[in-house]
Amino acid sequence: MTQTAITNTIRKLRFEHGEMTQQDLAERVGVTRQTINAIELGKYSPSLEVAFRIAAAFGARLEDVFSYGGAPDAQSR
Amino acid sequence: MSFREKSAWITLITLIVLMLFYLTHLPPPWWLRANPSGFMFHVLTIGVVAFVVIELVAYAIMALRAPREARAPSDEREQLIALKARSIAARVYPVLSLGSVFVVIHLGANEGGILYCVFLSFIVSQIVNYAARVVYYRRGR
Repeated sequence: MTQTAITNTIRKLRFEHGEMTQQDLAERVGVTRQTINAIELGKYSPSLEVAFRIAAAFGARLEDVFSYGGAPDAQSR
Repeated sequence: MSFREKSAWITLITLIVLMLFYLTHLPPPWWLRANPSGFMFHVLTIGVVAFVVIELVAYAIMALRAPREARAPSDEREQLIALKARSIAARVYPVLSLGSVFVVIHLGANEGGILYCVFLSFIVSQIVNYAARVVYYRRGR
């Protein structure tokens, strides 16, 4: 199964935010639970708007949630 | 499985079953000689009505079981999947219809046979449309 080049820490952030479920996050962002699942698994790259909404749901910056080509880069801060 | 993925499965299976029903009721060689005004429309009407009834009943049952999902608009991933699937079907239909018409004309088909080819090409392209949706949903994108 092809994976996108964009990685994310959504699953980790969900657990850090009161064990938020995929359904909870989906409702906050305005997509389906299956879309959140596909994004978490790297099967689907969200649009910029949805990516910003996901970051906003966690109160985090976009680059803290998504990274291109590898794990989120803590050194870029 | 999301509401729209279930919808795609239902439409796909219904189209395949009804197309097989339609083909098994056409007298061979339907691809060459056909009477467009008689038997074909009788069977076609039954197929179309059956398709509409099955779709309505299935959607009603799914909507009753998941009313919020049924009312929610398609999200960006679902819209992208539908767009990609329709794009594939849009390429399949002209190739299939023109190709089959070309072949049956050379085999000596009458206008009824040509009509069958065009109609069945449309059905096959819609099967491809919904099959592609199912594949994309399973793959995640």
